[in-house]
Amino acid sequence: MSPGVLNTIEVVLNGLMSGVLYSLVALGFVLIFKASGIFNYAQGVMALFAALTLVGFQTGQVPFAHLLNAVFGTDYHHWSSGMHHAAAIALTLLVMVGFAFLVEKLVLRHLVNQAPIILFMATIGLAFFMEGVGDLMWGPDLKALDIGLPSGGSLWWEEVTRAWAAPGAEYYGMYIDVLDVWATVIALALVAALTVFSQYTRTGRALRAVADDHQAALSVGISLRAIWVIVWSIAGMVALVAGIMWGAKSGVQFSLSLIALKALPVLILGGFTSIPGAIIGGLIIGVGEKLFEYTVGPMIGGATENWFAYVLALFFLMFRPQGLFGDKIIERV
Amino acid sequence: MNALPDSAAPLLEAKDISLSFGGVSALTGVDCDIREGEIRAIIGPNGAGKSSMLNVINGFYHPQKGEVWFRGEKRGKLKPFQIARQGIARTFQNIALFKGMSTLDNIMTGRITRMRAGLLWQALWHGPALREELEHREAAERIIDFLEIQSIRKTPVGRLPYGLQKRVELGRALAAESKLLLLDEPMAGMNLEEKEDMCRFILDAGAQFGATIALIEHDMGVVMDLADRVMVLDYGRKIADGAPDEIRNDQLVIDAYLGAAVQE
Ligand SMILES: Nc1ncnc2c1ncn2[C@@H]1O[C@H](COP(=O)(O)OP(=O)(O)OP(=O)(O)O)[C@@H](O)[C@H]1O
Ligand SMILES: [Mg+2]
Repeated sequence: MSPGVLNTIEVVLNGLMSGVLYSLVALGFVLIFKASGIFNYAQGVMALFAALTLVGFQTGQVPFAHLLNAVFGTDYHHWSSGMHHAAAIALTLLVMVGFAFLVEKLVLRHLVNQAPIILFMATIGLAFFMEGVGDLMWGPDLKALDIGLPSGGSLWWEEVTRAWAAPGAEYYGMYIDVLDVWATVIALALVAALTVFSQYTRTGRALRAVADDHQAALSVGISLRAIWVIVWSIAGMVALVAGIMWGAKSGVQFSLSLIALKALPVLILGGFTSIPGAIIGGLIIGVGEKLFEYTVGPMIGGATENWFAYVLALFFLMFRPQGLFGDKIIERV
Repeated sequence: MNALPDSAAPLLEAKDISLSFGGVSALTGVDCDIREGEIRAIIGPNGAGKSSMLNVINGFYHPQKGEVWFRGEKRGKLKPFQIARQGIARTFQNIALFKGMSTLDNIMTGRITRMRAGLLWQALWHGPALREELEHREAAERIIDFLEIQSIRKTPVGRLPYGLQKRVELGRALAAESKLLLLDEPMAGMNLEEKEDMCRFILDAGAQFGATIALIEHDMGVVMDLADRVMVLDYGRKIADGAPDEIRNDQLVIDAYLGAAVQE
């Protein structure tokens, strides 16, 4: 194979791997949207918050340390030297479930039957609120996140791919970050687990039932509030996984919540109500933006990854507003 | 038809129900009792308040006045899902199925009130959750056999013709094995053959699953065949209540409803 082809393959592979994470985050959006008709703007901040909390637990930070110290004149910052990754992840999951309970109790329950735009505004408020709470709880500084996953380029893969090039060609092998591979495997496992869960368990069926028809769901004994808590918990779990992966790559910082917003173009591509759509949309965006940057980027000054997804989504909106797999929007007159 | 003694205990009693929406009163001082094991029909012209009555019974509507007694106890202000868990299942006038789900999944959803396994077991897909899933799957298959819908068990119900959707919806309500089954116009929009099938299923359901049934129906032939007792609503008021034969010969009912129905 020529180095050109091999380079393209490398770009596509990397695109697929970042796409899987987009898919995962988009899945969090779709689940909430289907169950409650809410477009959850706070999904990105949830990822940030989850990552902050995880780092806080790992390093044994005292939550709200600044606030407490200011009020009581104390000087506490750490209550221990930290805890094991697994324990910290489990605790963070608990926090995200607790968060889901609070959102249901303090926000959703009071907004039943409101127009979608009101619910959307509520999640914008929620996003700002969480961002503030995250800062207050764990401090605004950039944090490194490490849960012991291997990272760095795979030498083995470089070796293998170098052999694929035509003999004598100037080619040094493909660069694949092992961390990306792990992220992909974990995201895929989570997506598969969620799919199986929703197909073959009582609660999974209840989730789908609520997504289809609220009245009918109530009539068979499903509590909408319980479902909302579950859906937001799942979204919290998804946010945690995305937060870990993005945080491990580039540190836990505010921009993390913006990457998660890439799920928006993913959803426009895939359709807001389709789980396969979220998955495939994520992959298309992931591969698309990497390929575009690789091929067209150099001609127009690069940094296309910041906007490519949104432009692609705009294009889609013009030709297929319901997305690839979304329910067709039929306007009744 | 099984003649029930007048003394059969009421499974459900709605007393002096008044319900209004803004200025529109949908129900005014209506009493409605449903006896254990009977098939109870509610008839009346369009907008008479029939669906509203069912909605009060299953908790979608909360009447401004009146009480509901179920199984000998006065019911507090419960949510529809809690009432479903107490043992009241229903179908809807405009079919409300889970359109994206298969027939089997729709019927399995009907069994949610009977499933107990915790979330964690379900997530692990193991232990009690797995056992329960298989057990309820069998129950769902029995209902599928009973309704003769084996051939569409895996079909997403949104793709089924209207008559079959109605049948699946009955299946989902039956699946809960509830004490009381509320059917809102189970035969509306069906052809003669479909209606006959549906009649048979409703009669057999009472016998096989021991359900007490309250149903709304416009087809008087069907009502006379099926019902043990008939109650007639007109403009939100009850104008007659009794055995089908009495109702057929009641002058008030003929004036308000049957006369019009014959002319149609
Ligand atoms: N949710 C609601 N909001 C406002 N008005 C309602 C509502 N539900 C019912 N009504 C009104 O209450 C009255 C009774 O309606 P209901 O649906 O109970 O009649 P029905 O006997 O079932 O009629 P049909 O045979 O057409 O189904 C009607 O005037 C209707 O417009
Ligand atoms: Mg009606």
